[in-house]
Amino acid sequence: MFTLNVSGIGKHYGDALLFKDISFRLNLGDVFAIVGWNGSGKSTLLRIIAGLVRPSAGRIEMFCNGEPIPKESRRQFVGMVAPALSLYDELTGLENMEFFCRVRGVDCNRNNCLEIIDGVGLAEHATKTCGDYSSGMKQRLKLAQALLHKPPLLLLDEPGCNLDSKGIKVVEGIISKQRQLGVTVIASNEKREADYADKAINLSE
Amino acid sequence: MHQTKNARQTTQTKPSTYLNEAVAIWLRDLRSEFRTRYALNAILMFAVTTLIAVSFSIGSFRIEEAERPFLYAVLLWIILTFSALSGLARSFVKEEEAGTMDILKLSARPQAVFLGKLLFNLTLLGAMELIIVPSFILLMAYQINFPGFFIAMVVSGGLGLAAGTTIIAAMIARASARGALFSALSIPLLLPLMITAIKGCERAAVGIGTAGWPEVKMAVAYVIVMVIMSLFLFPLVWEE
Repeated sequence: MFTLNVSGIGKHYGDALLFKDISFRLNLGDVFAIVGWNGSGKSTLLRIIAGLVRPSAGRIEMFCNGEPIPKESRRQFVGMVAPALSLYDELTGLENMEFFCRVRGVDCNRNNCLEIIDGVGLAEHATKTCGDYSSGMKQRLKLAQALLHKPPLLLLDEPGCNLDSKGIKVVEGIISKQRQLGVTVIASNEKREADYADKAINLSE
Repeated sequence: MHQTKNARQTTQTKPSTYLNEAVAIWLRDLRSEFRTRYALNAILMFAVTTLIAVSFSIGSFRIEEAERPFLYAVLLWIILTFSALSGLARSFVKEEEAGTMDILKLSARPQAVFLGKLLFNLTLLGAMELIIVPSFILLMAYQINFPGFFIAMVVSGGLGLAAGTTIIAAMIARASARGALFSALSIPLLLPLMITAIKGCERAAVGIGTAGWPEVKMAVAYVIVMVIMSLFLFPLVWEE
């Protein structure tokens, strides 16, 4: 049972306030959307939840079966896809997956990695270097990377970015399955993506 | 979607250790470097160019024999240090430039990242020393009376260079004027090591005063202090 508790989060850069006093609590099965205009801080809020950016105010707490998860262990519980997160262009899709398995300590052999890649529709391209991938293929590989350790918290920043209709179906399937595994937070301007969520917050308001 | 379901049955059964993570990062960096050769080319180009320039302009005959041990040690460590500075910052800078810094932060613990990058820089520096040091000895007719001490000095000095430049590379990776900042920060930090290594190589060439291997011990102490301090400081540098 995973719980994400966001309380009183605010962020400012110098004197410029991005957002303040953002609070919500998400439990297993919740899909939450962060919407707002460009520059309203959707991606920043997602990065704060992931632990990549320090908030100016407030705190992020994660609980597993009621036990608080220490900050230094949270990366094991988080999977993230974002336009700003890049994979290693000089490695193949398969090598990227093998690297992330090893570095995350996921017990995953080459066949498992191939299976994960197949799951996002990239089986034929697994041995091509990522530098030769199209932007849609890179997005699919990012999705595979975010899922390989079965994170209870899935953070998706514009998950449908650059994807074709088959890719969108993959995203829908991932969000639907994540309802059994944990919590999903989506940051997007797309109404279709925001509609996957049960709850939402608008940072422009 | 059936395949996605199967794929997600992969479970995390291996406890991830710092060493496993560091080795994974090291191997990944080596593979990337083998394919792109960004850092290796930068280091070797600088090293070979300066080595050739020094050997042609100074050679082995323009220096008085009594002055050779000291001057050759100075020239060797200038070549090694500045060659290292020309390429070792790439280990972190390339993560920032390629936009892979965040995904690495999400995947590995900070200390493991530092150790992985340190191993990678050690590998590069080791390869550079294997090429440059024998070439320097041959081209300059460098007489060494105590080769064991000389090798230990070059190895421990190389370890110190890698340890010092790795933490500075992490610090400057997000700065705008990285090149200038890297040299400006590295030189004061590396100066004690350079002075020690020059003195050690001079003693190795002369063959006097090497009892107890004082410079090697000092360089090893520098490495230990630098690595331990870096392991404590690196999480502060790595996290925003």
